[in-house]
Amino acid sequence: MKILEVIHVVNQMVADGVIERYAIAGAVGATFYLEPVSTLDVDIFIELHATPGSALLTLDPIFSYLRDRGCMMEGEHVVISGWPVQFIPPTSPLVEEALANAAEMQVDGLSARVFTPEYLAAIALQTGRAKDKARLLQFIEAHALDRKKFEELVERHQLVDKWRQFQKQFPSNE
Amino acid sequence: MKDNFDFERIWESKRALRERLATAPIAEKLRMLDALHERAAAIRGARFREATAVQEKPGGYGDRKEKTS
Repeated sequence: MKILEVIHVVNQMVADGVIERYAIAGAVGATFYLEPVSTLDVDIFIELHATPGSALLTLDPIFSYLRDRGCMMEGEHVVISGWPVQFIPPTSPLVEEALANAAEMQVDGLSARVFTPEYLAAIALQTGRAKDKARLLQFIEAHALDRKKFEELVERHQLVDKWRQFQKQFPSNE
Repeated sequence: MKDNFDFERIWESKRALRERLATAPIAEKLRMLDALHERAAAIRGARFREATAVQEKPGGYGDRKEKTS
């Protein structure tokens, strides 16, 4: 089981034109900036090509590309190198922007596109499940955020009420 | 007793560990994720085996074998 192999396969998908660009999100994305936290899967947001002659966006080319390379399907995940990987098209303007502004990181000679900490934190605030709030707290406690950039995202994506609510729920000692 | 349960010291050491982990090289942190994932998968596998294993249940009071003769 190796995340680096997953990144290698996804980079190859970009090189082979199966996806336009990608960015790692979720707990794996957060691990680039915070301490590692156990997770069951890898979330990868992708920009999709429309199928020629159709306006429909579909994940089928991704699945068939990976199936041809021996990957198994497990529900909505594709198992790559032992890791269930979920390919997700952008679900909101915030995620679209995060994908466009992802950071290019180097790991062991491999290039990886990852959401920046401010976008990961803003998406966690937007999603708002208990584990997302815990991740947002981690970013704040680890001083891993550029607060100005983060608050600018919060304002631009109408998350001010959620941010106020979060601050009330988890008062900061800073 | 107080020396053994100095929570301030415990929190401080936890905080320092988290900071050390957060600032570790990315490749090392990804290897830790791999290890955590393998461990979680092993635990899930064990739970599944436990849940699906055929288990012998003790007989209740008054259970008797049918007499054939």
